[in-house]
Amino acid sequence: MFHWLEKNPFFFAVGVFLVIAYAGIVTILPDFMESARPLKGTKPYTVLQIAGRQVYIQNGCNTCHSQLIRPFKSETDRYGKYSLSGEYAYDRPFLWGSRRIGPDLHRVGNYRTTDWHENHMLNPAAVVPGSVMPKYPFLFKKNIDLDTAYAEAETVKKVFDVPYDKPGMPKLGTFAQAKKAVFADAGKIVAGMKNQDVKDAYKNGNIKEIVALIAYMNGLK
Amino acid sequence: MNWLNDNVNLLTLIGAAAIIILTVGVAGKYIKQMKTDKATGELTGDNWDGIGEYSNELPYGWSLAYVGTIVWGLWYFFMGYPLATFSQIGQYNDEVKDYTARFESKWANPDKETLMGMGEGVFLVQCAPCHGITGDGMGGKAADLTTWGSEEHIVNIVLKGSKGQGYALGEMPAGLLDKASATAVAAYIVQDLAKSGKSKHPELVAQGKALWATCGACHGMDGKGMGGSAPALVDYGKAQFVVDVLNRGKLGTIGQMPKFNDGRLTNIQKRAVGTYVDSLSSEE
Repeated sequence: MFHWLEKNPFFFAVGVFLVIAYAGIVTILPDFMESARPLKGTKPYTVLQIAGRQVYIQNGCNTCHSQLIRPFKSETDRYGKYSLSGEYAYDRPFLWGSRRIGPDLHRVGNYRTTDWHENHMLNPAAVVPGSVMPKYPFLFKKNIDLDTAYAEAETVKKVFDVPYDKPGMPKLGTFAQAKKAVFADAGKIVAGMKNQDVKDAYKNGNIKEIVALIAYMNGLK
Repeated sequence: MNWLNDNVNLLTLIGAAAIIILTVGVAGKYIKQMKTDKATGELTGDNWDGIGEYSNELPYGWSLAYVGTIVWGLWYFFMGYPLATFSQIGQYNDEVKDYTARFESKWANPDKETLMGMGEGVFLVQCAPCHGITGDGMGGKAADLTTWGSEEHIVNIVLKGSKGQGYALGEMPAGLLDKASATAVAAYIVQDLAKSGKSKHPELVAQGKALWATCGACHGMDGKGMGGSAPALVDYGKAQFVVDVLNRGKLGTIGQMPKFNDGRLTNIQKRAVGTYVDSLSSEE
């Protein structure tokens, strides 16, 4: 049989491929399947958080901020516990980033708060002297895109079977229900903010992008 | 020829000479063999584009090395360096454990100067983003730590209340006392209870003590916080009080302070931060 393979390079190549592919499957897949499952406490994003995540992506935050804490003491001292792959199970796409011009944000919800983000987004250098981060005052002016955020949640629920509406998981429901939940969530964030325009807008039924972004950041734990 | 006295130089030269002699000898042997040798022996049936193959026995040394490598490989995987014993996280855990042990033994009994240095380092990384590099709260973005521990600060807390520390006896509502009574209680706390300094209004201490019942209902008549059910005001203005806030977080009138109890700070570091914060105010 080996003589025959040696004389038929095409089938020889197929044979080599099969052997290596099999070795790859048995060594890589089981570990990958296990580590890609969501951790016990990992929950999908609420609709408001998704809206904030979209703002995060829109403004390219991941260009300068990573969301991946490596298991080194120097990193866990500063950012908290190292990241596990299961924590990204509901990230589509993941926002690991590839460089740190700013600090890592994977657990920023543990050590920054609503009012800090508010001050910081308006003028980063006022809070962190020497910061090179640009100002984001327009986040206080633009409204969130609730339709797209709901559409994303609905899509991942249907296509990827993300466990919305399951026991112990965030509720999604119909658009009207989701909208109500978003306003309730946003209300909690707005209560911790000082900006009068944002508060007024909330009273008039508008949620500014900053509110969603803060909701997303506070949820990163 | 001084440099020949150096053993390393000598060995290097001998090695170089050996390499040259061996190269010339071996290359010469094979060049000669190529010129004179004729191919002899029995061919196998295979023929690839005119190139045949001799049917030779496997060289003994080669077979030995082949089997030896397999045996060594098995030993390496299962005994020498078992795969199951290594993981990146395990290595991280070991590293952290070693470091923590060294840290704790090195700073088991830190003196004041060490605590100040350590506290300033931690403060600049963990606290300065909200409280500012000088601890002044950056114009009202966070609590002004340079006045923390003062009587004005206590009056302010009594008037505005204090929330978010998660004590068993709940949160302190605003306006339990009016401003005049609060000033008296503040004098009592600073001078008699915490003994953190001289009060600016020593004449009010007695009045403050009389009013203490309102506060003592939660903080305990002795000010020790009823065994951890409420903040221990005997520690107010001292490092231990800061450690409590670091562990519990706070929801002040300005904004929320997160907890620092997720293992980012060791107990010694918390104490160091407390000492440093304490020093910010007592310098005034």
